[in-house]
Amino acid sequence: MNDAEGRRAASLEAVSVSKGFGGVQAVSGASLTAFPGEVHALVGENGAGKSTLIKLIGGRLRADSGIIRYQGAAAALKTPDAAHRQGCWTVFQELTLLPAMSVAENLLLRREPRDVFGLTSSRRLRQAAEVVFARFGIRDIDPGALVEDLPLADRQVIEIVRALSHDPDILLLDEPTSALMARETAWLFGEVRRLRDAGRTVIFTSHRWHEISAIADRITVFRGGRDVGSFTTLDEDEAVTLMTGQRVEALYPPRPPAPAPAAALAVADLAGGRLAAASFTLNRGEILGIGGLAGHGHRELFLMLFGAMPRKAGQIRRDGQEIRPRSPRQAIRAGIALVPEDRKTEGLLLPLSVGDNLTLAVLGRESRLGILRRRRLRTLAAAMAARLKVRMPDITSPVGALSGGNQQKILLGRWLLADCAVFLFYDVTRGVDVATKHEIYELMTALARDGRAILYYSSDAEELAHLAHRVLVLREGRIAAELAASGLNAERIVAAAMHEQAAP
Amino acid sequence: MSGGGTRRRVLAGLSPTGRRVLYAYGATVLLFLLGGLVRPGFIQATNVLTILTVAMFVGLVAAGQSFVILIGGIDLSVPWVLNAAAILLATSSGGENAHAAAALALTLGMGALVGVANGIGVTVLGVPAVVMTLAMNGIMEGLTLGLSGGMTCGACASYAPPLVQGLAHGSLLGVPAPLWLWLAVIGLISFLLQATVFGRATYAIGTNLRASELAGLRVRATVIGLYGLSGLTAALAGIMLVGFGGQASLGMGEPYLFQSIAAVVIGGASILGGRGHYLGAVAGAICLVTLISVLLAMNMAEYGRSIIYGVIILVLLLLYGREARDG
Repeated sequence: MNDAEGRRAASLEAVSVSKGFGGVQAVSGASLTAFPGEVHALVGENGAGKSTLIKLIGGRLRADSGIIRYQGAAAALKTPDAAHRQGCWTVFQELTLLPAMSVAENLLLRREPRDVFGLTSSRRLRQAAEVVFARFGIRDIDPGALVEDLPLADRQVIEIVRALSHDPDILLLDEPTSALMARETAWLFGEVRRLRDAGRTVIFTSHRWHEISAIADRITVFRGGRDVGSFTTLDEDEAVTLMTGQRVEALYPPRPPAPAPAAALAVADLAGGRLAAASFTLNRGEILGIGGLAGHGHRELFLMLFGAMPRKAGQIRRDGQEIRPRSPRQAIRAGIALVPEDRKTEGLLLPLSVGDNLTLAVLGRESRLGILRRRRLRTLAAAMAARLKVRMPDITSPVGALSGGNQQKILLGRWLLADCAVFLFYDVTRGVDVATKHEIYELMTALARDGRAILYYSSDAEELAHLAHRVLVLREGRIAAELAASGLNAERIVAAAMHEQAAP
Repeated sequence: MSGGGTRRRVLAGLSPTGRRVLYAYGATVLLFLLGGLVRPGFIQATNVLTILTVAMFVGLVAAGQSFVILIGGIDLSVPWVLNAAAILLATSSGGENAHAAAALALTLGMGALVGVANGIGVTVLGVPAVVMTLAMNGIMEGLTLGLSGGMTCGACASYAPPLVQGLAHGSLLGVPAPLWLWLAVIGLISFLLQATVFGRATYAIGTNLRASELAGLRVRATVIGLYGLSGLTAALAGIMLVGFGGQASLGMGEPYLFQSIAAVVIGGASILGGRGHYLGAVAGAICLVTLISVLLAMNMAEYGRSIIYGVIILVLLLLYGREARDG
């Protein structure tokens, strides 16, 4: 940038790094410069090359060409170990813990405390792990617990603590917060700031803009496998424009017009699992936000409405008629659709074709005596793909080859073909890049304008504040607050979700 | 260069499954040529038809095996379902045509019922398929041995009804009747897998069970149906075997477990489910039986055949694994 920066010694440099997988060039000529005492965010769509670059810098992958320097010296990165010896540690997006081993064993893997005979014991391990946890202020994870018994968020915390405990000069965090709740994210950012203040370098990726603006000193934007600019300040709309290469007016589309009170779904005292009791009405054309911290009954609410979990008590009315969905099949018959958190494992059948995925929910309807009306199915699929403007090679391509936004369209198209009128969106934007998020918001608001009813849970309160007509905040299995659109913001939603904890 | 390029393009145009099916048929042709070199009579029409007829027995069992492997399952109960079916047909008919129809219905019903029990164990009770079907194999072995008194019962010496023997030995237009039966089965299964809701659901469940459930497919019913079909085809194979050999014997189903699974795998189905086609298993069955015949023609001892068998399966799996990585 300017002279002052040019003279500062970079702690990490990647110069024209490239890496291809088969025919796909994941990173092509990407460069990155980071300095001591800097928190450096990498942003870009999924597939822009951020994760691959992090793996190259961290020694997990070997670059096809280009140079990586740590502290000004070329780093020979044949293995992650080589990177570790030079003070560079990575927390990867895919968790790398061994599920059948204890927390302490994972934390101290390959540096277990040993006695004079070179043996270790679970007691020694436990004590050593407790020391590490205490150093980083972790109190509520049992070092003796098996990793596989822990929730995702705790596993992520362990991954982070493991990297932190090596006192890294360079810490690489690949989407560390997508599995974390607000409290753990706050803890992580505290640790990140501590490293920065100690003159270390932290590189991280995130799809949550408020996190990036809260903690990053510098932001480098990636598109199509290379960096397209480095900034000390950047606002979200500018970032999206850079990431997608196309002008995006606003990340959030305007809220659809306020719905008339016509109940598409009425729920009374629904209970089961962690959901103690929930009563609410969802109107046609309404986006009803569900907020609150995870683990307070959201998942149960959605699964019960979709018939994927048995109800303990309560009534569900659909257009005034009582329904008792005992399977997703019955819920779909009643016009209810679930758009799950992970479209790749719970929604779509990635190796199967676009057409097969689109028509999956109407096979029974579009058949006679169990024999498919294949021509009609093809016509229906093609018409739906055209209506949703799905970008794809053709209708027989596997869904897995499509971009995230287009995959989401296929899933919505499936429910539209099945004439679903109530859409349950369950945290569909978690871990999704900004451009795809934007497309999802557009699809969702279009559905609402079309008169369909939308129940929308998101772990990102910001989204609810921008898109929902009303937000119900779940706390300890009950609806703790109902917030109207006017004056709605993320802080109010979070405050309502945390109310109990905040005021002891 | 251009020839190779074209071939590569043609192969690339096929799905990985389609390519493997092609490999299996190619290997079969090569094996026949090899057999012809070892013993010129090997590629005479009568010998080829005999090999195909023997392959049919494997092919029938492999049909059921294909169904359950398509959803990532497996059916280890086929040996004794087949054996029980063979004995049940002979004893219940008493070797008389008058009772043949009832005996056939009883036997096929028994096979389907055992399969349905497997399916219920796997889906409703959540028992892993390996455990469920292995236990079922043990149960069927025990029932067969116990009820037949170790094949000492009065009716145990009965022959298959002449009708069934005729079906196994007869021929139409110069083609053995069992091959016509096999063709019908191939047509039926292809139709079932390609053109019905059931078939579409099968591939969907094999690809991702949870997502299929959340898409509103009848997952349980489909899985139970698939295991039922596997029991049914094993029983059908037992019927054809007893018709072919005349009398039932203990242990006659044993070779068919390994061979049916091997046929499906050689035919290119993914053992993890979701990918494959019965036409592949058909190729696999023919390939396998031809291989055995070639080895026999070379006067190879049984132990040698077993070793070569195992090696070939391993090599194929390695090749297929490599291909999956490339794709």
